[in-house]
Amino acid sequence: MKTLSFLLQLWKTNLLSAMEYRAAFITQILGMILNNTIYFLIWVIFFERFKEIRGWGLSDMFLVFGVAAAAFGLGVFLFGNALMLSDLIAQGKLDYYLSLPRPVLLHAIASRSVTSGLGDMLYGLLSYCASGLFSPSGLLRFLLGVLLAAAVFVSFMVLAQSLAFWFGNASAFTSLLVNAMITFAIYPVTLFEGGAKFILFTIIPAALMGAVPASFVRAFDGHTLALLALGASVLLVFSVAVFYRGLRRYESGSAIQSQV
Amino acid sequence: MRKYAAIFRIQLLNSLAYPLEFLGRSVMVVMFLWIFFQLWRTVYAVNGSARLEGLSLGDTLWYFMLAESIELGRPRLAQSIAQAVKEGSIAYLLNKPFDFLLYQMSAGLGESAVRMGLTALFGSAVTWWMVGPPPSPLGWLPTLLLVLGAWMLHFCVNALIGLLAFVTEETTPFEWIYQKLTFVLGGLLIPLDFYPRWLQTAARALPFPAMLYGPSRYFVQPEAEAFWRTAGMQLAWLLALGSILVLAYRGGVRRLVINGG
Repeated sequence: MKTLSFLLQLWKTNLLSAMEYRAAFITQILGMILNNTIYFLIWVIFFERFKEIRGWGLSDMFLVFGVAAAAFGLGVFLFGNALMLSDLIAQGKLDYYLSLPRPVLLHAIASRSVTSGLGDMLYGLLSYCASGLFSPSGLLRFLLGVLLAAAVFVSFMVLAQSLAFWFGNASAFTSLLVNAMITFAIYPVTLFEGGAKFILFTIIPAALMGAVPASFVRAFDGHTLALLALGASVLLVFSVAVFYRGLRRYESGSAIQSQV
Repeated sequence: MRKYAAIFRIQLLNSLAYPLEFLGRSVMVVMFLWIFFQLWRTVYAVNGSARLEGLSLGDTLWYFMLAESIELGRPRLAQSIAQAVKEGSIAYLLNKPFDFLLYQMSAGLGESAVRMGLTALFGSAVTWWMVGPPPSPLGWLPTLLLVLGAWMLHFCVNALIGLLAFVTEETTPFEWIYQKLTFVLGGLLIPLDFYPRWLQTAARALPFPAMLYGPSRYFVQPEAEAFWRTAGMQLAWLLALGSILVLAYRGGVRRLVINGG
């Protein structure tokens, strides 16, 4: 309870701090919505020309893109430092969080909000509405699906970025993993077979961020929900365990830092 | 010119000093090309045709290889210029005996040479493995010239976005939107040949096809007419965007206020 109220305070502070520069705040949100809209035009053009690819049509793309964008947005808005964790580790900037009586990982990743994430969330919702699959019960499934997909995304980020405990400066490698996760999440999963599909459910769990939650939003299926919830839980537990295991190896240069 | 050549050389050597960082970024092209292969292999299979819009599967993949190398090899100049304007560190560059824009161009070219080269190397290896050998070597040298023209156009737009920092707090969204417009109207993810006719016409009236589609399409089917058409487009847009950039820079510097030092 104490941790939850701490998190709420942190998110509130992040939001107020972002809104301090009102023009930049609005530009980033609207800019991201426009950015995603233009990017999605690619799929509109593609399906205008080819109609369907292995059972996937434009409506499926609206849905999977909407879920993945909203999950990404929610993840980076609430836990923005999950994208920068390897830099914090490699540059010895975890000292600040270690010196305070709060959970180190939670405090570190929730200390920054990526404002444009709000734009991603809004775009995700609009994309879901545009898919033609909107319904009140579908909206509830969309919210649950996005929540679980965001948990998958943030957990994977923590896992990938924690490699910095072992490899030092791993930012190039981690950005490769981040890009892989996002790119694979917004492509039709039916394109991939055999080993590639196995990778998308395990090593780079992009299917759990895009195709699986999108399938759950389309129609309630207990088996899909269980798969998604199990995947998110396992990744969450595993990422926290790996982070704290790596934290034992953490070394800092005792640099004096101030947190503004 | 010698000082700009020296800036180019220094940036080139600087880039080579961090090979792992560049290697990590270049490997990304392998992943993208593999996804494109999965997608377009299915498209060609579903359509049951060896050629679509005059392109074979091999042509399409080699097209993507070059388009991705151009895109991934570009430095994010807008961000560094905007940062220099916002922090005021631009003042340290303005009092040096070189032109600010030419300095940025030389440094950016130095960075791109390594990044684009490595990306094309990895991209070519994986494309060759997936769909066979590259297009005729006769077109490689003219392609290089078109890639250079595309890079210069990109530089003009990127520098203009960076200079927007003189008038607006946040330039990143402009960069995102420009990037996505290049993806769509430049033909990064789908060659323009597959677009509806009206959209092809609209895209060709803009500079984006000269930045990606033109060089990549010429690379896979090197015909003199295609070369001159793309080169002509690049030249016309370079004149227009280059003039706007110079005017914007002069106007921006006049507005610049630096406190302290």
